[in-house]
Amino acid sequence: MRRTFASIACIGLMTVLGAGCATSGTSQPKQASTNAPATITYWSTGGDDDTRIFQKAADLYHQSHPNVTIKVQTLTWDDSYAKLLAAATSRTGPDIVSGGLTWMIQFGRRGGMVDLRKFGIESLKPQAHPQMWKSAASPDGSVYGIPIDMSTELFYYRTDLLAKANVTPPKTWDELTTAITKLKAAGVKKPFSIDWGNLDWIGYFNFLYQAGGSFYTPDCKPALHTPQAKRALEFWISLYEKHGAPTANITGENALDTGTAMTYSGNWIGNTIPSAKPKLKGKWAVTTLPAGPASSAAFIGGRSIGVTAFSKYAAQSADFIKFLYTDQAIDAMIGVAKGRAVPYIPPRPDSVTKADFPPGQAAAVTQSLKTGMPAPGCPGWDEAAPDVAKQLQSAILGKSDSATALTKAAKIMETNAA
Amino acid sequence: MATVSMGRMRRTRSWLRRNAVSYVMLLPFAGLFAGFLIWPLANSLYLSFTDFDGVSPPKLTGLENFRRLFAEDDRFRHALSNTGTYVAATVVLGTLLSLGLALAFRGSSWSHRVMRTIFFLPSVTSTIAIMLIWKWIFDPNDFGLANTVIRWFGHSTAIEWLATPGLSVPILVLMAVWGGMGYGMVIFVAGLNSIPEEYYEAARIDGASTWQQFRRITLPLLRPVTTYVVVTSLIAAFQIFEAVYIVFRTNANTIGGVLDSGLMIVPYLYDIGFTHFQLGYASAIAWVLFVIIFVISLVNLRIGRAFKEL
Repeated sequence: MRRTFASIACIGLMTVLGAGCATSGTSQPKQASTNAPATITYWSTGGDDDTRIFQKAADLYHQSHPNVTIKVQTLTWDDSYAKLLAAATSRTGPDIVSGGLTWMIQFGRRGGMVDLRKFGIESLKPQAHPQMWKSAASPDGSVYGIPIDMSTELFYYRTDLLAKANVTPPKTWDELTTAITKLKAAGVKKPFSIDWGNLDWIGYFNFLYQAGGSFYTPDCKPALHTPQAKRALEFWISLYEKHGAPTANITGENALDTGTAMTYSGNWIGNTIPSAKPKLKGKWAVTTLPAGPASSAAFIGGRSIGVTAFSKYAAQSADFIKFLYTDQAIDAMIGVAKGRAVPYIPPRPDSVTKADFPPGQAAAVTQSLKTGMPAPGCPGWDEAAPDVAKQLQSAILGKSDSATALTKAAKIMETNAA
Repeated sequence: MATVSMGRMRRTRSWLRRNAVSYVMLLPFAGLFAGFLIWPLANSLYLSFTDFDGVSPPKLTGLENFRRLFAEDDRFRHALSNTGTYVAATVVLGTLLSLGLALAFRGSSWSHRVMRTIFFLPSVTSTIAIMLIWKWIFDPNDFGLANTVIRWFGHSTAIEWLATPGLSVPILVLMAVWGGMGYGMVIFVAGLNSIPEEYYEAARIDGASTWQQFRRITLPLLRPVTTYVVVTSLIAAFQIFEAVYIVFRTNANTIGGVLDSGLMIVPYLYDIGFTHFQLGYASAIAWVLFVIIFVISLVNLRIGRAFKEL
């Protein structure tokens, strides 16, 4: 009897291990007409407001494609990457996903996303922001995701505090440091802070590109060994060490509200300040980031959208993604965003001015998007980025010198690209 | 031969009559146990020897993941060192404070019951909710409670609590000890109340001081309870995750706080598996963590037994 039980247990264990070995089989998506009946699930990374914006487009699409129903669901930024990976591992879950601009490349190169070129998605390329499209597409030409919105980093300042110190909004790095010095001399205790990208690679990104450097060469080799990269890092470090920028993360609107004179922040705080910080009314303004020695490039953020490799409705999903670039969809989405006072900047530069901006911000956003650059779309970047940030932190916090930090960061990028 | 066979059949039938119902009733549990514990464990052991990235089919790589873990991975060593410091501080402080609370509030009076309930509350509250409150307490923005409190005492400069590497582990220890001492207290109270009062009476008659009673009666008789509290808090401390994931997270893909100062083994495992697409390597880390906890718990139990035999 005992022997029989032992045999059954062994067979059971072997079956279990065999099943384990069979993890992640691949299946090909079925091709179908864009009008064929489908119930599509769309996981949208962001907040509930974003979900409502995209659901509006989905409802419009349903009107012209009555057989296709699209349900948009929210994934928070914190959990999204892990949930998308879990979905890709189990090969169940959403048909459409949207997330960080370069995420689709990382999932796509492992077989988790559909190459949208087979559905003629490249017809949208001329309409999109060229650099955004380049970053969302893979260097090998595959298009696993395309941009669906944009955001950018801007320079917010307290007009009353700058006037008190007789300072005009700085246009260059030198003017920025001079302004900080003058503000301190005028008794402003908190002259400057960084919100978006504080102690993170996004913060460094602005200075790197403004100094004429970049994270990667055009063929995706790490490019942090350059004098420009070192100069950018040293200037960034000086803002913390010499000029007193706080290392803690203080949101831009809170910084301005609690007496910080100037802050680097995302364009979205322009929509938040009027309702969240009414005391700041008439006391703040916004412009583009101060330019560096080579350019005034600022970081452009945004999300990309793609179709999962396990979707049964790849054709319909790709068709919906194309629909998101139409005037009809963009107008509807901007309408929802305006109603909720949230920023939604469409992925088409020719439609940016339609978006809802607080007074004075439209010109700054348009200019910033014109000269800005998005995250690098090189393989392994999303995995490397957090570890690159740790190396940059070690230089800022005095644990290593800038050259060593950049060498280690480049090594991390190289390892993750493999 | 036929007689032997008949005998065996009879025994089998009799065994079935006595036990079949019990085994059938165990089946739902056994199924769930196999499906949700044995299978994932076996799968993760298998994956620890592969390069599984979560999407493409896994390829066997032998002991490569374990070699890399011990020979090349500085972040793992850093996480291990942070975890060691955190575990030692949490277990020692947590056990001492739990015992202190139990001694202070062991009675059956109304006030003692209320105090025990208050200290036990964190154990029955959602961990996520508690961590979000801690995050708010240490927030550097104007609404951060810790900075508001130090301002009341005249400290005008805000402290960058979560952006100061030297404060990360102490903050994690504080959160863990505060959250766990109520649970330890309840266990110790049960242990204290099971010690017969006659021992103390006899000791008092013999002229023993309070400290001598505590040292010679309470502590030795609490040894099994202390071992239980130490082993369970040790296992829980090694598995710290939520505090690091929620309080020290700055953006979607960054875990461990500034300079990885709050990085522990389980958050590192999660980071490697779910943001670096290295689920095979993450499985290897999980098994190393299992071995560490197993060995330390075993040592702890042995020490407890050795003391008992003294």
